[in-house]
Parts: sequence; structure tokens; C-alpha cells
Amino acid sequence: MDVLFAKYLFRRILSAVLLIVLVITINFFIIHLAPGDPATIMTGLENPSPQIIEALKRKYNLDKPLLVQYFKYMTNLLKGDLGFSYVYDQPSWKLIGPRVFPTLSITVTASVLAFTLGTYLAVLASRLRKKFGDLIFSLISYVLYAMPSFWLGLILILVFASKLRWFPTSGMFDMRASYEGFRKVLDYLHHLFLPVFTLLLIQLPVFYRVTRASIVQNLREDYVTVLSAVGLPNDKLFKKYVMKNSIIPAVTIFGITLGFSITGAALIEIVFAWPGMGRLLLDAVFRRDYQLLLSIYFLMAVFISVAMIVTDIVIAVLDPRVRLL
Amino acid sequence: MKNIVLDVQDLSVHYRINKKVIRAVEDVSFKVEEGDFVGIVGESGSGKSTLAHTIIRLLPTNAMVVSGRIELLGYDVLSLGEEDMRKIRWKEFSMVFQKSLNALSPVHKVGNQLADAMKAHNPNLTEEEIIDRLKQLLRMVNLPERVLKAYPHQLSGGMMQRIMIALALLNHPKFIIFDEATTALDVVTQGQIIEEIKSLVKSLSLTGLVISHDLGVVSELCDEIVVMYAGRLVEHGTTEQILQQPLHPYTQGLVRSLPDFAQEKKKLSGIPGNLPDLSQPVHQCVFAPRCPIATEECFKTVPSTEEIDGRRVACLKVGARI
Repeated sequence: MDVLFAKYLFRRILSAVLLIVLVITINFFIIHLAPGDPATIMTGLENPSPQIIEALKRKYNLDKPLLVQYFKYMTNLLKGDLGFSYVYDQPSWKLIGPRVFPTLSITVTASVLAFTLGTYLAVLASRLRKKFGDLIFSLISYVLYAMPSFWLGLILILVFASKLRWFPTSGMFDMRASYEGFRKVLDYLHHLFLPVFTLLLIQLPVFYRVTRASIVQNLREDYVTVLSAVGLPNDKLFKKYVMKNSIIPAVTIFGITLGFSITGAALIEIVFAWPGMGRLLLDAVFRRDYQLLLSIYFLMAVFISVAMIVTDIVIAVLDPRVRLL
Repeated sequence: MKNIVLDVQDLSVHYRINKKVIRAVEDVSFKVEEGDFVGIVGESGSGKSTLAHTIIRLLPTNAMVVSGRIELLGYDVLSLGEEDMRKIRWKEFSMVFQKSLNALSPVHKVGNQLADAMKAHNPNLTEEEIIDRLKQLLRMVNLPERVLKAYPHQLSGGMMQRIMIALALLNHPKFIIFDEATTALDVVTQGQIIEEIKSLVKSLSLTGLVISHDLGVVSELCDEIVVMYAGRLVEHGTTEQILQQPLHPYTQGLVRSLPDFAQEKKKLSGIPGNLPDLSQPVHQCVFAPRCPIATEECFKTVPSTEEIDGRRVACLKVGARI
């Protein structure tokens, strides 16, 4: 079994590396297919002179053939150089680095909370077996699921920040106060609450619904009938058998959510003026910042691949059947 | 006179499906004596599985026992509370289920699940005692010990069926029901398992029922056979009587559809027609529309179960040969 597991793991890692290379390559060429010329945008002028464009292209190697640019980019990546943003005139990592933590602190916190709360509520709803409670839960989850995140964010700001003044409206820190140490952490958490809460409300229904459906389906499985007939106490049957079988779909979704968490939640970051990756990504798209875009996509590919491998391992531990695939 | 282990009297079980009442079992009575195996034979929808599930009280919630009495090992099964039932089910009697492939959780090891089943009725056993008993059971059903560490999907259909038999034997039951226990298996495995069941039943001196649509399987394992049609008992006799000299036209049809290897080429025949609509009350012989010898009388009267030469048959034309 252990040899089998090691083989499975090796295959997963190998395919992840291949996937990352493929993603970088495709991204590189697709971005260059897009209309718009970075050199023209960089000048910041409506009608830049050909000399300026020429000079800029030479400076950033944009005058070289595409394939040469590609190999240069790949060798730089291997050296750990993510690229250089011509718009900001800074190495990409300098722009991305400071945004990794703020972004992850919103997305990962929200996903972890959504996963735990969602599955817990699903278990609770199915255990209560009260038709009415289940109906209410389902109705709320539908409404939340259908709600646009930016609108929900705005409403929450309106209620909890503007009216009740419990939380700040936007930003990551209180600009007027320059807190240090523990007080600064508290200030950060205070600002973090509303964006995380918004994202949580958006993601929660997904986990709730998937787990709920999975539990309902599992309760109809033959093994439940058999083990119950055999005399296993209902409580043990549910906690040990039904739960483990039912949680697998939610774990898969959690893995996917986690994978995308590095790209941030652009709409929510904009609504809450949160300096995260999502806004950086959107800006890079609008300004044709090829190198920065590629860097973010590279990071995204790596992050998603790692998240998927971890998810696959967790699922393989939970479900022995996938180890054979 | 031997002890009577199972006594089913005038049992009627109905299902409520979409406001319709489906009469799955109607007025069925029979007894099983200690050490005997009785086969319940009938086509799909004849009520044989409902009958089995009623006896061990595992009916779905939309089923209701309309009338009748079941006495099993001295327990008045139908009047026991749910908790009392849980205590004796799988201890005094058990069942080998029809769908063995999905009968255990796919993400837990087989041994772990068997051990849990054991602990449910013997909370004071130590881990070692449980493992010993499980190993002993596996030897009884001809499985290697390593299956305890396997997951259900790693075992073949035959192995899973043997696991289900082991599961049924877990707590030394006195009465056991085999519900289509060999139906999903290939012919070779089916033959092997039937032989194994035969010797197990003998060595453990069990009493029980064998539910099957396959007259061949039932005749291998049982001393007596109950033939059911559309929820009713149509004939009950010893295996020999049923196979050699079936009285009811339906039983005659069933026997004729069995291949006979001793004789020369003989055309196998089926029984034309389908089961009647069980949601309609019937005031005639249920088999009359498909019966080759039915007369006007059969469409007017419900035949009662008559006892003739130690066997029972519900037919107005008893003994009539085709």
C-alpha cells in the first residue's frame, strides 16, 4: 500500500510540474496575441514618437523575436527572476510580494471558515431532521449563493461600517493612527473582518449544499442499511461512517477554492480598498503589463498545483479508492 | 415433533406509494421447524423480499403491516419496540443481504467494520477476542485473513458475498435469512457459495429462509419451498413435492422453466404475461389472467389455501394436470 501511495504521489507531482510549464508557455503566447502594444502604453502619450517606442522596445527586449523572448523568460524564471514590470519600473516580485499576505489572509481565512462552518451546518441540518429548519437553511443558502459579492460587500459596509460604525469602511490599517505591535495586529483584524465576512457568506452556501446533498445521498446507501441492521448505534454510524463518506466532495471543493485563493477576490478587494493580488492583477490586465501578468499567472499555476496535490493526498487518505487511479 | 422457530400467520404488508396502496404481501402463513430451511420463490415483485424484511423488521418507512402475526424464536416480532428489536436483531437472527457489493462503507477497512458490528452486541469483548472471532469466521467462509485489512473495492463479488455471510454469522445466530444471496454472482462462484452455505448450515445447525427467484438455488438449499405469486402464497410443500409434482399451475410453469440435464432436449418454456397491478384489490384468483387452465369460476372466486397430503396449495383446480 505504501509503495502504491508513493507511486501515486510521484505521478501527481510530475504532472503538476508539467502542468505549470504548460500554463506558463500558453500564457506567454496568448498574452502576446492580445491587441495593444505595451511600449505605446508605457510612453503615456497619445501620439508617441517612433523614436521613444523604439527605445523602449529595445530597453525591454520587446524588439526581439517572440521565441527569443520566451526562452529568455524561461531561463530567468529558473534563476528565480519572476520578471520586470515595465509599468511600475520595478521587479515583479517587489509588487507581488507585499500583496501575498494581505490577499491570503482574506481568501484563506474565508475559505477555511466557509468549509468548517458549511460542513458543520450541513451535519447539523441533517441530524436535526427537522423539515422546517432544513427548509430555512436551504432558502438562506440559495439567496446567499445567488448574491453578487460586491453588492453584498457594499451593503455590509453600509450597515456595519457607515450606520453602526462597528468596523472601518475600507483599507488595511487605520491611516490616522500609527499603531505598533499587538495593537497593530488588532487593527489589522478589525479591518479584515468585513471583507472576510463577505467572502464567507458567498462561499458558505457552496460547502453547505454540497455536504448536505452528500449526506442525504449517503444515508440512502446500502452500507447504512446494513450497518444499522447489524445493530451499530445510530450515533456511531453517523459520526464514523456517514461523515467520512460525506465530507469528500467538500474537501475537493475546498482544495480548488484554496488553489485560487492566491489570485485574491478582485471585486471584494476593490469594494474594501484592500491592497491585494486581485486588484494588482486587474490593473496589470488594463495596462498591458505583460511581465507582471505572467508573474502573477506563474504564481497562480504553482499555487493551484500545490493546492491540488495536497487536496489529492488528503482525499487519497480519506478514500482508498482514488489511490488506484 | 420439532420446535417451530418461525411462525408467520395471515401476514399482510402494504406499501403506500404516491397515495396508492401496493399490496405487497397478502395473507401469507407458514411455519419453519427447527433445523429446516424453507425457500421462498417467486418472480420480482412477488413480495418475497418484503416478507423477509418484515420478519426481521427492516421495512422502509412507507410500508405498513396491515394484519398478521410473526413469532420468531419465541419473540412476537411485530409488537417489539424498536430498541428491543435492535438488541436481538443480529444476535438471535440475521440476514445475508442481496446487494453485497455496496453493503459496506467504501472508505473503511472490512475488518474495522466487522469489528464495529461485533462490538455493537458485545461491548465487553477485548480487541484480541474480536480479532480471534473474525479470523475464525473468515476460515468458516474460506477467506484469507488479509481481507480484514482490505477495503471493500479490493475484493471480488464472491469475496464480498462471503464477507456478508461472515457478517451474518457474527454473533452465533440461530436463525438466518439468505436474501438473493447468490444472485449477483457468476455461475461458478454461485455453485461454490451454495456448497459452502450448505455445509455451514449443517455444521452450525441453523434454521432459516432462502429468498430467491431461482428455483434451482432454492431446491439446492431447502427442505421445503413456499411459492409466492403477486404477494400471495400459492403453494407450499417439500422440495421434492414441489419439483416432482407441482400442483399449482404457476409452480408447474416455474418448474417447466428449469433446465433439466438428465433428460433429452426439451423446450424450456416461460410463463406468458405479467404480474397484475398490485394497487387494485383482487376478487379472483390472482394468477387467473395468466393461467392456462383458468375457467370462469377462477375469475369470480378467491381460492383459499387448502391442505392436501401434507402440502398446501391455493388453486380451485387443485391437482389438475395440464
